[in-house]
Amino acid sequence: MATNLTRLLESSIRSTNAAAVQSSMRLFSNQQQQHQPEDDDEEFRVLNLRTIRQQARRREFKKEAVQPPRTKRMAVDQDWSAVWSGPRSFHPASVPLPLRQGYTERGAAAPSKYANAELMKIPNFLHLTPPAIRQQCEAIKKFCTPWPKGLETEAKWKRTFPLEVVTSDYCHSLPTIRNPEARRVKITLKLSDLQFDAHAKDKFLRLVGERFDRETGLLTFVTDRCPTRKQNYDYALYLLTACYHESFVTEPWEASKSEADMEQYLFERNQAKRSAEAILNWNASREEKVSPPSGYAESVEQLINEGENEYNIAKYKEEVLKLLKIAI
Amino acid sequence: MKMFRKQFVHLSRVSTHLQRNAIAPCIASPAAEMSTNVAPAAADTSSAATNEFRTGVTNPGEHSELHVAKFYTIPVEEKKQIFSGGGLPKQYEQQIKTFTEACLMVRSPALELLQYIKNADLTNPAVRYVLYGDNGVGKTLTMAHVLHYGALNEFLLVHVPWAPNWMKRPKEAANSASQEGFIDLPFDAAAWLVHFKTQNAKLLGKLQLKTSKEYVWSKRESTPAGAPLMELVEHGIARIKYASETTAALLAELKQLASARQCKIMVAIDGFNAFFHPITRIFSDNKQRVTPERITLTQPFLDITNYDWTNGVCVLSVDKIAMTEGYMASYMPRYLLGKDGFEHLDPFVPVHVGNYTDKEFLSYINYYLDRHWISRAQPGFEEQLKFMSNMNPYTLMQLVRGL
Repeated sequence: MATNLTRLLESSIRSTNAAAVQSSMRLFSNQQQQHQPEDDDEEFRVLNLRTIRQQARRREFKKEAVQPPRTKRMAVDQDWSAVWSGPRSFHPASVPLPLRQGYTERGAAAPSKYANAELMKIPNFLHLTPPAIRQQCEAIKKFCTPWPKGLETEAKWKRTFPLEVVTSDYCHSLPTIRNPEARRVKITLKLSDLQFDAHAKDKFLRLVGERFDRETGLLTFVTDRCPTRKQNYDYALYLLTACYHESFVTEPWEASKSEADMEQYLFERNQAKRSAEAILNWNASREEKVSPPSGYAESVEQLINEGENEYNIAKYKEEVLKLLKIAI
Repeated sequence: MKMFRKQFVHLSRVSTHLQRNAIAPCIASPAAEMSTNVAPAAADTSSAATNEFRTGVTNPGEHSELHVAKFYTIPVEEKKQIFSGGGLPKQYEQQIKTFTEACLMVRSPALELLQYIKNADLTNPAVRYVLYGDNGVGKTLTMAHVLHYGALNEFLLVHVPWAPNWMKRPKEAANSASQEGFIDLPFDAAAWLVHFKTQNAKLLGKLQLKTSKEYVWSKRESTPAGAPLMELVEHGIARIKYASETTAALLAELKQLASARQCKIMVAIDGFNAFFHPITRIFSDNKQRVTPERITLTQPFLDITNYDWTNGVCVLSVDKIAMTEGYMASYMPRYLLGKDGFEHLDPFVPVHVGNYTDKEFLSYINYYLDRHWISRAQPGFEEQLKFMSNMNPYTLMQLVRGL
């Protein structure tokens, strides 16, 4: 009898405790117990003999009972990627975080996550948690091939594959799966990967025009004039090849480039060279002609191409003194 | 000592000059004339050598690093010979008059130039030195120092005190008779011939230079081959109409003579970049501004600054003020000379003239104090002057000038 009584008491205490725990804190998934409410004692019904004619009551709009937020029932070690599997806007009842966002008057706390438009407006990355990414990577691993040997570093594969091709794919849920943007092909490569002589480089840069970026040294061709990607890719490669080979062709009219057409001062084709030669070969016989030293030529070119400054003019002076053999 | 005797020969003329300045006691000894004790203010200074900012060495050829930032006096006779036709800035000329002595500070650009000139091999083509620097740093005075050296060392001086004068304010412009479409500047050419004559009369008399060919000026006038060069100069001065042609002939003759080792020539042209300015202020017959190359004087002076002759040295200066509005952005030689001017002079030796160093600045202040030009100065006034003038020579002179 006594043992029965104590058992009853214990079970009643446990059930009240469990209910309290259930409402206040979340447990690990294996600890969660199914709490079965015990049957209440049946109430003694009252027999009412007098039927009271009830007034026709006004119909009240019945609100559906709001379910408690799902977060209350979430285990702390649940699989989050199952809860939030893809990109979607914020939902307060699904995110077990005490987030607050938004503007209030000074001193007050920011609005909570419930019915908070500020949180819904901003994009979130709740579907891209590190475990989710890891999980997805694991899933697609079986489609991957091993990385080729000998291309371990970026420098190595840049050297082997100097040409970079960029295209875009588009995913649609439409009757057509075509997207006109998908035909665009962009190829880039470093100009230093091509081999030129001085004339060819100059001509090539003129041919490609603004497709070459002087700051990064990158050459970019974007083709979109053909209907398919394959055609555009072929066309881009054709452009590159044609420009490269055309730049090595010297047309007959290129010889008529005058001094005014030069984009840079060149010592070789200017009066400076003739003067320097005349001074160096003053009274010299025809055989023992001396050409001006390269240091002098460089200093003149630097003075004119870079513009005058104290450094350039000092260098020029030094070279002239050397050229004219004036003892300092 | 030879120079000293030369001084003594001219003592009589100098003494009259000094008496005019009421400083008769100083001529008692000839040494006083050599030193700087000319002004009454300097009467208490015992001798030039004792002053730390003066030097008694009046021959620029003997100046060295020891004399940097020290003042030397150009003897009156020599000053009259070299600079009477110009060559010193006007305000410096006034200061010389006030201080009754022609003092020049020995500065490093001039020393550097003198060093080059002394070491240069004159059998090589003429070397062109180009002085450049900001406004008022002393390019003209550096050139004056070098000119003094040239005059003392038997260089024939071909000196243009300020070339832009010809392009900016000529006395008269006439159409050239000999060259179609060219402009003569007869008065300016004659004035230059006079300047050439005063500078070189003594040396020309000594060297006995002769013309190489006959110059026919008109039906009746001609200069025969083998005539003394002085005759050519005199002709240009007497017959102003032919002054420009005479100048051209004279410069061509000088170039030939120098190349034939009969004389050595120092060409000094201040404001040389004026020859390459795009435009002048001279109007042609059809009321259009002419370019400098249409002036008959330009070509001879460009020829003599070319490298195709020997036994010569060219000291040229490029100046912002020689240009006009819109061409004065920088004082660098390539900018001021332009493309043509640079190609004409290249390869030249650029010599930068800068502001005073601390030592030079203090030396100048001491000089002003010595001349009693600065008096009743508060302590620390040097710092103020240094700050206000930024150690620029011209600005300093303007700051301490009389009202």
